[in-house]
Amino acid sequence: MVRAFVVGGTAALVALGLLLGLWASPPDAYQGDYVRIMYVHVPAALASYAAAAVACGAGALYLQRRQPLFDAWARAGAELAALFSGLTLLTGMIWGKPVWGVWWAWDARLVTTAVLFLLYVGCLLVRGLADDPERGRRLSAVVAVVAFLDVPLVHYSVVWFRTLHQGPSISLQGVKVAPEFLVPLVVNALAYLALLGLLLAERARLARLEWER
Amino acid sequence: MQPLDPVTAEGLGRRFGAVVALEDVSFRVREGSCLLLTGPNGSGKTTLLRILATALRPTRGRAWVCGHDVVSEGHRVREVCAYLGASSGVYGGLTGLENLQLAADLCGRPRERVPELVERVGLQPAAHRLVSTYSLGMRRRLALARLFLQGPQVLLLDEPFVGLDSEGARLVRELVSSVKEQGGAVVLATHDRDRAGGLYDAVAELQAGQLVQGPGLVAAGRI
Amino acid sequence: MRAWRRVTALARKDLLLEWRGRDALVPAASFGLAVLVVLGLVWGGSPEAAPPVLWLALLLASVLAMGRSAEREDEEGTLEVLVLYPGSREDLFWGRWLALCVLLLALGAGLWAAQVLLFNAPTRNSTTLLLVGLLVAVGLSAVGTLLAALLQHVRAGRLLLPLLFLPTTVPVLLAGVRLTEAATSGTPAGPWWGVLAAFDLLFLLVGPGLFEVAVEG
Repeated sequence: MVRAFVVGGTAALVALGLLLGLWASPPDAYQGDYVRIMYVHVPAALASYAAAAVACGAGALYLQRRQPLFDAWARAGAELAALFSGLTLLTGMIWGKPVWGVWWAWDARLVTTAVLFLLYVGCLLVRGLADDPERGRRLSAVVAVVAFLDVPLVHYSVVWFRTLHQGPSISLQGVKVAPEFLVPLVVNALAYLALLGLLLAERARLARLEWER
Repeated sequence: MQPLDPVTAEGLGRRFGAVVALEDVSFRVREGSCLLLTGPNGSGKTTLLRILATALRPTRGRAWVCGHDVVSEGHRVREVCAYLGASSGVYGGLTGLENLQLAADLCGRPRERVPELVERVGLQPAAHRLVSTYSLGMRRRLALARLFLQGPQVLLLDEPFVGLDSEGARLVRELVSSVKEQGGAVVLATHDRDRAGGLYDAVAELQAGQLVQGPGLVAAGRI
Repeated sequence: MRAWRRVTALARKDLLLEWRGRDALVPAASFGLAVLVVLGLVWGGSPEAAPPVLWLALLLASVLAMGRSAEREDEEGTLEVLVLYPGSREDLFWGRWLALCVLLLALGAGLWAAQVLLFNAPTRNSTTLLLVGLLVAVGLSAVGTLLAALLQHVRAGRLLLPLLFLPTTVPVLLAGVRLTEAATSGTPAGPWWGVLAAFDLLFLLVGPGLFEVAVEG
């Protein structure tokens, strides 16, 4: 009953986000319709960081308590962090080509997301390739913790590396967000976070069933 | 609950993925006694010893060594327990003497005892040679010297006779007797019951990860 | 006191084995030199290209060096004996870390000298550079010690090491480059000392605890 309500609510929120993002919002003065990619890009980035935070927290708890529940959440978090950061990179590139004229710009946020993506892919590989499932759970939790603690440092060092020497690089920063863009952005962000929560819970439930087996 | 013996296991189980290596194993080893652990290859002897030595966490059940839980108080267990596994665990790039000096540093024993131990295990002539030039039996002797150095209260031996000549086997018996005399406990896993003759006070047989019950198997002690 | 004895004994052991075998430093230094030569060839050997090439070469070469200590334990089956000794397993981390620091400093010094020759790079402020090298070695060794132990029982672990190591150490690479530029050509150092210090501090704080988890059976 509760589950049906949550699934329904999330679906409605995602649908509302799509509606606002694709039809109800105006095209941007400079970017035209390309601005609509932002409504996927930014929420996906948000969701990937939230998933990474879940993986780190649950991983740390698993290392402390060694309970299947925490491992299930750590696993779900790591997989979804890789998924959403991959989606962020993809949409960033699709948006970058028409707007910046290049598929890839060395924007600090894109680079940070790429690092996040690589580290969580590594985390999943460690889990899959460990010679014993118990070891895989333990080691991937360690990687999830290290990755999450490292990413802020990577982000700031990339920001400073790009800006302090060559003048500000092209970035989303400084783009004034008018209300007609802000509303769909916020709705989509909420929709993606709800979707993330739902996927996390479902993946964790599946992981626990696998554990029992 | 009864007071804990030097080695107490209750319902120990260990799974490696879908493979069940050990299932519901319970036993006790009393002070001053030695339990002989037998069983065919793959019956879980090594897994059991490694759990007791804190090299591996059990997936089920609990075990105590000298009253310390092997999972939550692993560091306490390691203070009182010594384990000899299938690998001798010595560095080929160090000499016999250097290996033992390293062992003394790592377990906090005086380095002055090292030369005497080298002599005791009969490695005096080779003490200054790199271990990579040692034979299998010589490496095992070096590992035995490490156990003498540690002087544990609980001794866990996994196939200790492999690669040893009769003189080497005598060293194993000496080691086991010294631990027993000091009121410690020994768990000895081996196929070679002849060589272990006279050392053990009880026998436990593992088959497919389960303890095969029999008279006197559950509690091993001098009666 | 006892921990100090354990840590120094372990570091001494690693360095002694390295001295006798030379199986980490020589391959790593040769590889680093190859990276210097190839990148210098591609980018042209101007002094401005030197700092990024130097630190990139060190980073890549250190990947080779840092797996060796763990690998040696693997070949001899000694890790299990090490973790079962009485005393904290964090000492194992500090011992390996210390030995790796020494190794990376030697590697860095060699590559720096080669870079000066190959790129005609300025040698001003070499004490500042030494301090940079020290901080870099401290951080890289901490990450390397942790990751090498982590990947010891993972299939294809040697292939995964660079995948995890390179993205993690991006801050060290960038800080190394900018601080070297600052030392040799007088550009402002900006926040880079802080970045390097923060990175070292982070991994020295979480490294030992996570290492302990990684080496348990």
